[in-house]
Amino acid sequence: MAKKILLAPVDPVHDIGLKMVNRGLREAGYDTVLLPPDLSTEEIIQAIIDEKADTAVLSRTLGYGVANLLARFVDLADAAGIREKVRIAIGGMAVRPELAQELGFDASFGPGSTVEETIAFVEGKEFIKDTNLSRKQARDMTEGYSYKVKHGRIGELLEKTTDMILAWTEGKTSPGVERAILRDELWDVNKWRGGQPTTGFFSEYAGLCDEIVRNYYEKGELHPKTRRFTDKDVEKLRAHVERSRVDLQTPSIQHTLKKPIIFNQYGTGCPYMDIAHIKASEAYGADGVVHFDPSWGARTEGFFDGFLTHQEDGTVITPDNLMHICESLEKGTLWQVRAHRGLNTPETVVLAGKLGAHLTKINICYGSLGAGTEPARLTVDGVASIRYAAKYKLPFDVVTNEELCGVPAYKAFAGMLIVAHLGAALGGRSILQPLFCYSPEVMISGQMEDNYVDFNAAKITALRSIMDAPIWPGAPIGFLTQDEDRVQSSTTTALHTGLAAMLGVDAISIASSDEAYSGGPITVPSKVDTLRSAAESFRFFGQSRMELGRNAVQWSEEIVSGIESVLEQVVEKGDFVQALYDGILGNREDGAYPGRNGLNTVTQK
Amino acid sequence: MMVVSDVFAHVVDALDVETFLVCMSENEGKNLALTMMKDMGFQDVDVVFVKFQGSGARVRVRAYINRPGDKYPWLDLEDTGEEES
Repeated sequence: MAKKILLAPVDPVHDIGLKMVNRGLREAGYDTVLLPPDLSTEEIIQAIIDEKADTAVLSRTLGYGVANLLARFVDLADAAGIREKVRIAIGGMAVRPELAQELGFDASFGPGSTVEETIAFVEGKEFIKDTNLSRKQARDMTEGYSYKVKHGRIGELLEKTTDMILAWTEGKTSPGVERAILRDELWDVNKWRGGQPTTGFFSEYAGLCDEIVRNYYEKGELHPKTRRFTDKDVEKLRAHVERSRVDLQTPSIQHTLKKPIIFNQYGTGCPYMDIAHIKASEAYGADGVVHFDPSWGARTEGFFDGFLTHQEDGTVITPDNLMHICESLEKGTLWQVRAHRGLNTPETVVLAGKLGAHLTKINICYGSLGAGTEPARLTVDGVASIRYAAKYKLPFDVVTNEELCGVPAYKAFAGMLIVAHLGAALGGRSILQPLFCYSPEVMISGQMEDNYVDFNAAKITALRSIMDAPIWPGAPIGFLTQDEDRVQSSTTTALHTGLAAMLGVDAISIASSDEAYSGGPITVPSKVDTLRSAAESFRFFGQSRMELGRNAVQWSEEIVSGIESVLEQVVEKGDFVQALYDGILGNREDGAYPGRNGLNTVTQK
Repeated sequence: MMVVSDVFAHVVDALDVETFLVCMSENEGKNLALTMMKDMGFQDVDVVFVKFQGSGARVRVRAYINRPGDKYPWLDLEDTGEEES
C-alpha cells in the first residue's frame, strides 16, 4: 500500500489529467502532493525526496523531446538513489508504453487511460476492467406505455377502423398465413436445433411455396444467388465469434441518458460478414441490431432452409441463418427481425419468435403502398402477424417508409396509428416509427429549407399528443441528409442523434457513414464512424432539452388535424382495403401505388 | 494480437485511403485516385467520395479486400496469445 504519492507534470503547461488522478486518489483516501507544471527535473526529484513519497506519478502531454526528457529523468532519479525506493509511473498524451517500458518506468498510462488504472497501480493491484460494461441488459422499450389514445376524435376513428379491419379479415386466409400456422404448430424449434427431422412440416410446407422455393425442398435446388456454407465454415465461424468475445465490452454510448436505445442494421448478404458487423457494433455501443433481408424475399412465397450466403444485399431469412446470427449476439443486444412488408410477414414473426428475436416490424399500409404487396393480402397477413407478435411477446415497430415514396407524414402517420391501434386491440405492443429524414414531402413543400429540426420535432410532438406509445425514429435517422463524405455523413447522424435525444424518444436507428455510397457493400469501419459520432453527440448534449420553435408547434398541429381528416375518410369509406386502393392513406400522386404481389391469394378458410 | 505473415488477412472487408490530390478537375482527381490504388496493387477499387475545390480534390478511395460471400482469411487467423511486434 502506498503511503504518500507525489504527482508531477513533466510539462511546461498541461496538468489536467494529473489533477483528475489526484482527485481520484484523494477520494480513495490517499495522501497526495500535486506539484505545479513547469518545474525542472531536478526540482521534481528533490520534491520526491523532501516529501518522502514512496510513489510518484508523472505526466507529459507535449510530444516534442519526450524521449530525451524522460530518459534524463530516469538517469537523475538513479543518481539521486530514489529508483530503488520509489515506484514511478508516467502517463499523458505523449506517453507510449514501449518507451516507458524501455526507460524502466514501473507503469505507463497512455491516451485513453482511466483514473482507476492509476489507482490500481498505486495500490499495487492488477487493473480489472469494469465488467458492468459487458453486462448490458436487453431493454423492453414498450414498458410503461398504455397505448391510450389521448385525442378524443382520433380515438373514436381508430376504434371504428380496428373493428372494420377485424370484421373484414374474419374467416380469410392466405398462403402466407397457412405457412405461418404450419411453422407455428408443426415446426418444433427444439427438435430442429437437436438435428431431428421435421419431415411432416416440410411435406406440407413446400406445397404452399413459390416454385423456386418448392424446387429447393423437392429437388434440392438452391436459389441462384445463394451458396451453402460447409460444416468447416461453421466451425471457423464459431471459433471467430468466441475469439471476438474474449475481451469484448459493450459500452453504453448514451453518456448520462438511458435512452434513446441505439440500433443499427446489418444485411450484407453473408451471415459471416453480418456477424463481423454485429460484433464491431456491439463493441462500439450499439444496443440493438436489425436484420435486413433481400427485397426478393418479400416477393417470394416461402422461406429456404439451410445456412446460406447471398451474393447481393440483404441476408436471406432461413432458420439456420437466424440461429447462427442469434448465437453470435451478446446477451444484452436487442435483435430485430423485420417482417413488415411482404408475402412472408406472418411466418417471419413466428420464426423470429421461435428463434429468440426481441422485436419485429409490421406495417400493413407501408407494405401495401410502398413495398409492392397487394393490400388485401397484407391486411389478412398483417392481422395474423400481429396476433403472432402478441403470442410470442414480440414488440413490433410500425415504420412509415411510405414517406420515402412521397406520402406526406400525416397520411403515413394515419396508417401507422391504425396498425398500432389494431396491435393494441390484439394484445400486441407496437412502437411508432416515424421517419426522421429529409423526405420528398418536405423537399417539395419546403419545411426543411431552413433547418432539419422543426419538422422532425413537429412529427414527434404530433404523435406524442395522440397516443401514449414508444417512439423509435428511423430508419435510419437523417435519411437523405447524408452524402458520401464520411465526415458529413457522421456529422449529420450525430446531429440527428442529438435532436432525437433532446426530444426524449425511446430509440433510434442510425446509418453507417457509407449510407449514401451505392458503389459497394457497407463496411465495418463505416459502422464504427457513426457509432462514435452518436456517442460524441450524447456527450455534447447530455441531458439538455430543446424548446419547440413556432414552426414546429404549427406543423405539429397541422399533422394532427391531417391525421384526423384521413381517418375520417377511412371510416367514411367503410372498407380499409378499399381505402388503401383509393389512395386515402397515400395516392399515386404522392408516389404510393397499391402493390400486386400476392394478388388474388386471399381465400375464405 | 495474432501472428500472421499477411497483414491483409486481418482486414475485415475493405481498405479506405483518404488524401487530397493536387489536380485540375474532379474527374482528374477521380482518375488519379483510382490509378493510385491500382499502382499499389489493388484491383477491386472504387471512389467513395470525391470533391474538387480550390487546388485539388479531397478523395476517399476504397479497395475491397473481402466482399460479402467471399472466403474470409480472417476466419483462419489463430490466436497465439502473443503480441505482434
